Amino acid sequence: MGSPFDINGGACVAMVGKDCVAIACDLRLGMQALTISNNFPKIFNYAPSTYLGLTGLATDVNTVSDLFRYKVNMYRLREERHIAPQTLANLVSSSLYEKRFGPFFVSPVIAGINQTTGKPFICGFDSIGCIDFAKDFIVSGTASEQLFGTCEGLWEPDLSPEDLFETISQALLAAVDRDALSGWGAHVYIIEKDKVTQRLLKGRED
Amino acid sequence: MTSITGHPAGGEGIGYSFSQPTAAPVKQHGFYPYTDNGGSTLGITGSDFAILAGDTRSTSGYNINSRMVPKVFKIGGDDETGEGAQIVLSVVGFAADGNALKERLDAVVKMYKYQHGKPMSVSACAQRLSTILYGKRFFPYYVHAILAGLDEEGKGALYSYDPVGSYEREQCRAAGAAASLIMPFLDNQVNFKNQYIPGSGEGHALEAKKAEPLPQTHVEQLVRDAFTSAVERHIEVGDNLQMMIITREGIKEVFHPLKKD
Amino acid sequence: MDKLVAQYSRPQHQNESYSEQEQQDLTESLPPLSLKFSLPPVDNRASFLRAMTDDHSNPSCPIKLAHGTTTLAFRFQGGIIVCTDSRATAGNWIASQTVKKVIPVSRLSRGEDKPSNDPTPGLLGTMAGGAADCQYWLRYLSQQCTLHEIRHKRRITVAAASKILANLTYAYKGYGLSMGTMLCGVTPQEGPALYYIDSDGTRLPGNLFCVGSGQTFAYGVLDSNYRYDLSVEEALALGRRAILAAMHRDAYSGGFINLYHVKEEGWVHHGFDDMNPIFWKTKLEQGEFSNVTSEL
Repeated sequence: MGSPFDINGGACVAMVGKDCVAIACDLRLGMQALTISNNFPKIFNYAPSTYLGLTGLATDVNTVSDLFRYKVNMYRLREERHIAPQTLANLVSSSLYEKRFGPFFVSPVIAGINQTTGKPFICGFDSIGCIDFAKDFIVSGTASEQLFGTCEGLWEPDLSPEDLFETISQALLAAVDRDALSGWGAHVYIIEKDKVTQRLLKGRED
Repeated sequence: MTSITGHPAGGEGIGYSFSQPTAAPVKQHGFYPYTDNGGSTLGITGSDFAILAGDTRSTSGYNINSRMVPKVFKIGGDDETGEGAQIVLSVVGFAADGNALKERLDAVVKMYKYQHGKPMSVSACAQRLSTILYGKRFFPYYVHAILAGLDEEGKGALYSYDPVGSYEREQCRAAGAAASLIMPFLDNQVNFKNQYIPGSGEGHALEAKKAEPLPQTHVEQLVRDAFTSAVERHIEVGDNLQMMIITREGIKEVFHPLKKD
Repeated sequence: MDKLVAQYSRPQHQNESYSEQEQQDLTESLPPLSLKFSLPPVDNRASFLRAMTDDHSNPSCPIKLAHGTTTLAFRFQGGIIVCTDSRATAGNWIASQTVKKVIPVSRLSRGEDKPSNDPTPGLLGTMAGGAADCQYWLRYLSQQCTLHEIRHKRRITVAAASKILANLTYAYKGYGLSMGTMLCGVTPQEGPALYYIDSDGTRLPGNLFCVGSGQTFAYGVLDSNYRYDLSVEEALALGRRAILAAMHRDAYSGGFINLYHVKEEGWVHHGFDDMNPIFWKTKLEQGEFSNVTSEL
């Protein structure tokens, strides 16, 4: 059997624009070559403008997303405010490192806008919680190499929300069409300071 | 010799109750004749030209062997400069195998010209390269080859190969270390995959944008963009970009600097 | 003197017939199998090749060969339908979406697709497993079929052609070839004939075969809708639909639907069409594939 990261397949990408961020994922859930579901979104919402994308082993995607729903709910009750993307990033990092010697097989991606500063924020992690802060884009999943290529080729600084949507969609669709284990449609979130737009992309069904 | 201590007589005198290793276990040396020298190549065709490009870095592991080892070669030229050639071959993977393959194909194309009194067509050369590669089916050349030239109608022709000689004519192809980074970008920008004509319909009625041959200057720019992107994210790609532009007038070779980190 | 002349002269017509050896050379359809391939300097060639090229047993092998496929062919009253996908994968990487997995066999010069709709004489072979193995050996088979045609002044039967290929794969058994191919043709002697040949040396005649990583999905559709007395239109649609199902569910199949119809006069190409528009048309107009979401 191959790596646990490659069993179920999936891809996720986050990008920064001008006063906005975008995060997108594919919809496939498979068991090696067999496609089980075409409706398995990998992006989870934890506050009005804070999103977490999880790729990797599907069982851990579910477990980790639920674990953070619990932790973020507890945070909100205790602090009586929404969690900021930066805070979530540190929560994810420390929670993953707790499992240093028996990690969750996930590669998380965070995208959001900090409501106090109004600044966009994205970051990515390895499976044991090392944070990768980036100013441009973060990729994860079985199509990560392809995503690096398309994002590096298509992304430019200070994109408007509309242009950012087009850029992230083209980058994701082009990348997953060259990966056997991801694709089958996609979800895209465009996050602005006080508005979030969610879209379903029609992708190749093979 | 018989033992007087009741222990089996070992070579050294002391008899251990557990078995002693008699000699070092027979070492099985793995036969590993290949090195991955990294690098990437890329070819795109147009209506009256073909471009074949590659970076010039040669690596082994994390080391850089050289910053100037070309991967793109003229095939069947009149002299060692390749003057008069009409076919271009790029090889990426194991440089020694690549070089051997290039020499062999070069000899074949030259012999063809001397024997038949005319240059070899690209389609014939493409088929010949396939048989050369398959001749080493059980001890493969560790290379991804791309062959480019102009076909009988003067259109750009590009053939891509796997290490044992399966081949296909294509519009564009990236090979080597950064193929997975470059190829999806090319799908999007050369074949317009996932692009639709704006305003041609709503939702499912949207019309897909058709691929059409691109002008030469545009393709040159795409090749440079693809490589500058690949250099950013792949450690085995960099230093210089070598480009062979094949037109009716002949083959033009140009070099562009890439990042050297 | 007469004795001397007889000793040094030969009968006038002696050279007009062939010697036994020459006759054998002429009738022999196969040249002796020569190992013209270069081999690695190791004792166990199969394990060397596996270590270098088999990404299934060794995911980090240096030489990744193209694999993964769905191909199908079935016999029916109007001839044979041949349908394939067009994807080539190396590990999880999709190396190509435009592979031509149906290879015309016999008459090398007629291998290219013509724009006209006239049937092209000859057999069809399909390609599953190692792309290079299939391309090379089916080309070799074309050569043998053409030689057969020249020697015997009639077209080779599918049975004979498939036997040439099966003998070949059997001779190379253990060397690490990887191919699963179907040979299809309609000849006056046999009618529509379909054979499955693989790199183990298997050779099976049959009505219906699916080969490749997506074969189970294609069998599912084909078995539930197949009848021998299908009309040509129905048969073409069934072939296309079976491949579509396999492309959808199998990660290593996809790309374009390559469809052929083999008739007595030869084969006819019925398109190399992108699966995605066909998939959405099937879903939205026929209401099939309801598992796929089209609304948020």
